[in-house]
Amino acid sequence: MGRLTLFLFFAVAALTSAVASAGDVAIVVRADLPADNLSFSEVRKLFTGDRQFWSSNLRVTLLIRAPAARERDMVLKTIYQMTEAQFRQYWISKVFRQEAASGPKIVYSNEMTAELVFAIPGAVAFVDASQVPKGLKVLKIDGRLPGEKGYPLH
Amino acid sequence: MPFNRLFACAAVLLALPALVRAQPAQPSQAELIQSLIDQVRRLEKRVAELEGRGPSQPVSPAPAAPAPEAAEAKPLTGRAEHMPAHEISQSTYPSLKLAGFTDVNFSSSSLRGARSGFNEGQFILHFTGALSQKVNFLGELSFSARPDAGTGTPAATGFNAEIERSIIRFEQNDYFKASFGRYHTPINYWNTAFHHGQWLQTTVSRPEMTQFGGSFIPVHFVGGLVEGAIPAGGLNLNYNAGIGNGRGSVISRAGDFGDSNNNRAWLVNLFARPDHPYGLQFGGSIYRDKVSPAGGLPAREWIQSAHIVWQKENPEFIAEFANVRHTPLGSTVSFNSQAWYVQTAYRLPFAERLWKPYYRFEYIHISRSDSILRAVPSLAGSVAGVRYDISSFAALKFEFRNQRRPGQPRVNVGLIQPSLTF
Repeated sequence: MGRLTLFLFFAVAALTSAVASAGDVAIVVRADLPADNLSFSEVRKLFTGDRQFWSSNLRVTLLIRAPAARERDMVLKTIYQMTEAQFRQYWISKVFRQEAASGPKIVYSNEMTAELVFAIPGAVAFVDASQVPKGLKVLKIDGRLPGEKGYPLH
Repeated sequence: MPFNRLFACAAVLLALPALVRAQPAQPSQAELIQSLIDQVRRLEKRVAELEGRGPSQPVSPAPAAPAPEAAEAKPLTGRAEHMPAHEISQSTYPSLKLAGFTDVNFSSSSLRGARSGFNEGQFILHFTGALSQKVNFLGELSFSARPDAGTGTPAATGFNAEIERSIIRFEQNDYFKASFGRYHTPINYWNTAFHHGQWLQTTVSRPEMTQFGGSFIPVHFVGGLVEGAIPAGGLNLNYNAGIGNGRGSVISRAGDFGDSNNNRAWLVNLFARPDHPYGLQFGGSIYRDKVSPAGGLPAREWIQSAHIVWQKENPEFIAEFANVRHTPLGSTVSFNSQAWYVQTAYRLPFAERLWKPYYRFEYIHISRSDSILRAVPSLAGSVAGVRYDISSFAALKFEFRNQRRPGQPRVNVGLIQPSLTF
């Protein structure tokens, strides 16, 4: 009886953790990228194109989900603090000023995200934390992973 | 909040095992186990609802990589053709992307002798291309309607073509980027933020201090620039430093063909975009040149400028100031002229956030003794209007302008401008 109780306890704990991180958005990169933890400000600089290099030989490539994806809505709201229209104008303006050579690449699915993150050194993307493609590294934000208390992309 | 309930359940469940272990087996334990099983089922159902779309993994990284199926992607603006994912991941050089801006204007003025009517705005073609991972090119062409079209021998064309920008840039990293070419002089916020992209700016018209063909500040700059970020914590400091030809012998023009004298112009621009509050930008610039106007006395030129911008739309706020100081060669007397403007706008929260009323006040004071800026009139004026976004890439603007220049009657102008990017 005691073992069954213990098993049920761990099952409930695991499921509760999965439920907690399911609403979060995870920032993912290739496993060999030399970064594990970024501050929220650094994440914002990455996604706004103000930081364009991981290092001198490694350029950041942004992958953004297509409109209507829940993850995109959350990133626009929390990181960019912009509406769809403002977001589009922001990147057109950024390229026009030559502050960025090009805008982010649009991705349409987790599978496509995974394919491109694997294929492009320096690619960074965001996915639903409960659906992180296998083999990608989830970056901590301010020392926290998705599902942990205080994680900002919730 | 469903998650809160789940956490509460989890907290209760965390405490239960200890209680269960502390008590001898009794009939109520079966009920407890049944209750736990029910909890597991409910949570399983909830997880299935949230995940919904297929397989997943825990948040921690796993070693194996799946073979994802091919998909399509396109650049953000939706301007370019769709490309398979494997093509996106492969860099090809040179890569060229084309974009553009254009606008049409209708104006009616109270100025005696002025005619109301339509006029074609600038037609802008904007080229960007990567030449390698670290080298890229930007080109900008403008076509502007000519008032003398069809006159003269040979007959003047209907439009003037002009290379507005042509820049080749090497990017070492975020802290150092070097470039050469023809720029929008980075000593003024508006001049680099909007310039020929009428759709990008909230208003129909530009501030007078940065008007097309204007002389108050040098709008274009031919030479070289280094730029980048300066590590400064959360201040996010950025710099531009450049050296180039400065003004041409016609001072509204850059020295495209060559410098008008043997003194290069130089500039330094610093601006910050702090982490907090997000959306704020402020900065300042200095610009130094020797100006040699055609038929005029050469003079040393100093320009100091500053700007503060709140880049969001609730509200939008832009304020700029510039002081232009000219000291004729061989003289100790200097002449200072100033220009500034304050613009504010607010994206209305209703009607799908498509309407954005705005107001700008601008002021220019030109020193009467400054022979270099003699052709630039002083000005005090207001601009009020509303912008309606027809789509994500087109806007319709209605504007009323009221301007007063010394020795001239007050002028009222009404403008309507559809503008777009493509």
